[in-house]
Amino acid sequence: MSMAGDGVSDIEQEKYDADENVKIICLGDSAVGKSKLMERFLMDGFRPQQLSTFALTLYKYTTTVNGKTVLVDFWDTAGQERFQSMHASYYHKAHACIMVFDVQRKITYKNLSTWYHELREYRPEIPCIVVANKIDADLRVTQKGFNFAKKNSLPFYFVSAADGTNVVKLFTDAIKLAVSYKQNSHDFMDAVMQELENFELEKQEAVSDKEDESEDALPLQLQGF
Amino acid sequence: MFSFYITDEEFNAESRVTSHHHLTLGQRTKESSNPKAGFINSMSYKAMKCGLRFKPPAIILLYEDVTAGKYRQRSMPIRSFSKFSDCSRAAEQLKNNPRHKRHLENVSQSQLERLYKLLKGHLNGNSLEESLEEIRRSETIDPEEDLNKLDDKELEKRKSLMDELFEKNRKKKDDPDFEYNVEVDFQQEGPVEVCGWDEASDEEF
Repeated sequence: MSMAGDGVSDIEQEKYDADENVKIICLGDSAVGKSKLMERFLMDGFRPQQLSTFALTLYKYTTTVNGKTVLVDFWDTAGQERFQSMHASYYHKAHACIMVFDVQRKITYKNLSTWYHELREYRPEIPCIVVANKIDADLRVTQKGFNFAKKNSLPFYFVSAADGTNVVKLFTDAIKLAVSYKQNSHDFMDAVMQELENFELEKQEAVSDKEDESEDALPLQLQGF
Repeated sequence: MFSFYITDEEFNAESRVTSHHHLTLGQRTKESSNPKAGFINSMSYKAMKCGLRFKPPAIILLYEDVTAGKYRQRSMPIRSFSKFSDCSRAAEQLKNNPRHKRHLENVSQSQLERLYKLLKGHLNGNSLEESLEEIRRSETIDPEEDLNKLDDKELEKRKSLMDELFEKNRKKKDDPDFEYNVEVDFQQEGPVEVCGWDEASDEEF
């Protein structure tokens, strides 16, 4: 796994370590309605920041969870999904994921497994919500079973960006999940990354030290996980 | 043979939009000191139906001149259009034509484009049914198609088709029954219908 490498490393992602910041990413095929959902949730308040060089759209949102101010960055794909894969930095430090498919197009449902697989490569533990969008096209789909979410034990929502059904609930729940994940994070990769960062620091410090204990410090500490 | 074809379906929608527009004008007039000012300064052409004449080629608009209280028909001759022409561009040019612009304000570009497509089909020797079928096909989303694999232009086409449904079902902020937070619990009672998207044969799923 590469760290926020290559071009996208220019985007400041350190802030996502601060308590009040959370990062929520959207995943799913082209034209499933990811941006439409964002816009429906934010209504007039949305000021998307187009980062076209990174094929990325950022939506900023401020809210309170349990009496505390939370600054949310929603990351939207802006066409990058066409490569059926996102850059590693898209997942980097994300605290929750909203994964969308279009109830009118089976292939977008089938592709969920590809998206989910990639998500778990980078973020094995973050909360992920599965979203069936465009139910306004035919409400009968809400009586049908979609096993993907159940199989992976993920929360599942029927929504419509057009008429607004469950959109606000989806996003407020996603924010709550992101905040609680951040507070209780036991993410293995987070821990490993933290260790590696510490290790790098220790190694640099060790250059001037005669006693160099840091070299075997890493495997020892990792065994604890 | 058909020499004049009218697509009815969309016009109702169009005229609804128009009357809504008209209503806002009326309200504005009420507030102003001169009750007629609003109508004098703004166009009140209410598009009702729009169709195509093959020979000589023209787009025909039936509309209500609200100020005069009369129904009128307007012919907009189609010139320099061949079977090789770009229908979308032709529609755009007609909509922005200074002579017709005001009359076409509430007629969508996609509707005009459809009429040009019919004419193009006719110039290519297709029957009206064939042309209509082709238009229908080009305006339907193939649910099996992987849109991730399309280029920008083709993807945009599909997206604008989907946008039509989106706009049709859309609840806007100004709608009287708009609610920001709409929560519906789709509790599935009893045996859930199998959607068929989870076949057992799809093992990777």
